Amino acid sequence: MFQPLRLNALLTAVVAALVVLGLPLLGVGSYVLHVMILIMIFAIFAVAYNLVTGYLGLKTFGHHAFFGLGAYGSALISIHLGIGAWASLWIGAALAAAFGLFIGLPILRIKSMAHVAVVTLAFAEIVRLSCSNLKGLTRGELGLWGIPAFQALHLPLVGEVVFSPANKIGYYYLAALLLGMTLLATAVILRSKIGLAILAIRDGEDAAESLGVNLTRIKLGVFAVSAFMVGVAGAFYAHYVGILTPSAAIGADLMILVIAMVLVGGLGTFAGPLVGAVLLTSSAESLRFLDQYRLLVYGGLIVLIVLFAPRGLASLRLPGRRVPERPA
Amino acid sequence: MAEERRDDGIPGQALTPLVEVSGLSVEFGGIAAVHELTFAVSRCEIVALMGPNGAGKTTTFHLIAGARQPGSGRIMFDGRDLAGLRPDARCRLGVARTFQITQPFQELSVTENVMVGAMMHHKRLPDARAAARRYVELVGLADKADAPAKGLSTGQRKRLELARAIATRPKLLLMDEVTGGIDQKSIPGMIELVRRLREQGLTVIMIEHNMRVIGEVADRAIFMNRGVKIAEGTPADIARHPDVIDLYLGDAAHG
Repeated sequence: MFQPLRLNALLTAVVAALVVLGLPLLGVGSYVLHVMILIMIFAIFAVAYNLVTGYLGLKTFGHHAFFGLGAYGSALISIHLGIGAWASLWIGAALAAAFGLFIGLPILRIKSMAHVAVVTLAFAEIVRLSCSNLKGLTRGELGLWGIPAFQALHLPLVGEVVFSPANKIGYYYLAALLLGMTLLATAVILRSKIGLAILAIRDGEDAAESLGVNLTRIKLGVFAVSAFMVGVAGAFYAHYVGILTPSAAIGADLMILVIAMVLVGGLGTFAGPLVGAVLLTSSAESLRFLDQYRLLVYGGLIVLIVLFAPRGLASLRLPGRRVPERPA
Repeated sequence: MAEERRDDGIPGQALTPLVEVSGLSVEFGGIAAVHELTFAVSRCEIVALMGPNGAGKTTTFHLIAGARQPGSGRIMFDGRDLAGLRPDARCRLGVARTFQITQPFQELSVTENVMVGAMMHHKRLPDARAAARRYVELVGLADKADAPAKGLSTGQRKRLELARAIATRPKLLLMDEVTGGIDQKSIPGMIELVRRLREQGLTVIMIEHNMRVIGEVADRAIFMNRGVKIAEGTPADIARHPDVIDLYLGDAAHG
């Protein structure tokens, strides 16, 4: 878990990065880019959720609040204060992180995981209901529209990069950049002293504390960082789709989907959230004709994976490859 | 370890006890787990805490280490009142403990487990790893250094607890039944290790049932029953104490 990066893991990462970066050059359609962008938004969310739940071991069910806070925060700031999306994205994420600290404080002292789940879920419901009812500000379920897109960029060598529904390549690379930054930040945290403390807390809170690990500082810090990442995903989503409703941006469905992604991919594994985001987002798109019934397929998928690969798909080894021995 | 000890240069500092517990009481559900407990431990002393199950020994450890807050009473450590300090803060002051029911970090390797303790004194992770390796060797787990902690036997887990605790370079080590579950052949090695740590300036309070271990390493023993201190003295005195014989050695003494 807390090991030096192995060569084959590094190679897989490089190949995956090249595929992601090269895809638009193959001239794929706008729809494929759209699905890829959604995958990357969900991947940021899932990676951040996995940091708190998979690595730190805090079973939170309210991370969609931070997605909504980032989305509405960034959208409202850019609409009302005239601050461009490039800056408001970070302000929205900072807002999510601030709320992360705020809700992190009470849940720190709760030892029962069921109670942590209920408190965080209730918090997210409060955020959602507030956004639904502050109609003067958010227009409620009618939808907040007219969210400005990212301003065009003039890059050396590349030329002008525009962000519009018609041309998704700019969004695509921006999403890839944000996902890359999220993964890098997560890897740096996990491989540091803080990462060791995080894993120690998950495996034995009392023992970690007796060895000098400051539980309050680590838990609050990780919670805020995770909320920030989810806030980034939410803010990017707001400026990408251009319209927000509380049920779409802060609905419990969103959280359930991300939890499913992390479970399917592998809770507490680095690649798990990515595998889950790719699999569930693309299957959601391809099962769109089933409408609401696709939730049934999700349910079935999760049951199958929990039964046959309880540590998630990312933990599976290809046949013929040596599986490291794990004494029971 | 010796150079880590702070010398405040106050005359007579060396004569004041490292730990002073006075009038310590705590109740669980109306039952006194520890009642009006008072004792002191000098620097570099090894004190055995004895008593039957439910005597309040482990609770006393919880109170000193900060895992539980006392109902009343005071714990002075190295001239400081520990009241209100969390376990991690007490660890930074120099209080380390092992757990009776071992709590290894299951998913981490043996060395990584010890690194968690070693992190406190090493800014860089590679330094913490190197230090952790030395403690792993010290407790005799070198051949398991890279194995996951969840595969360890009970005895090995006890050693791991010990390595983690001493990696924080404590002034006071609370050892909760470290010889429990360890095979008999390894016990002399453990005794030797505790003696060596003491020579380097460590003070030890050990919860121990093995009279041989107590006789060989402890300077003094405190005997508790139902949260109350019954007797205190040299291990030999304790072994002869009539109440102790009745309560604790009863079966062995009478046949």
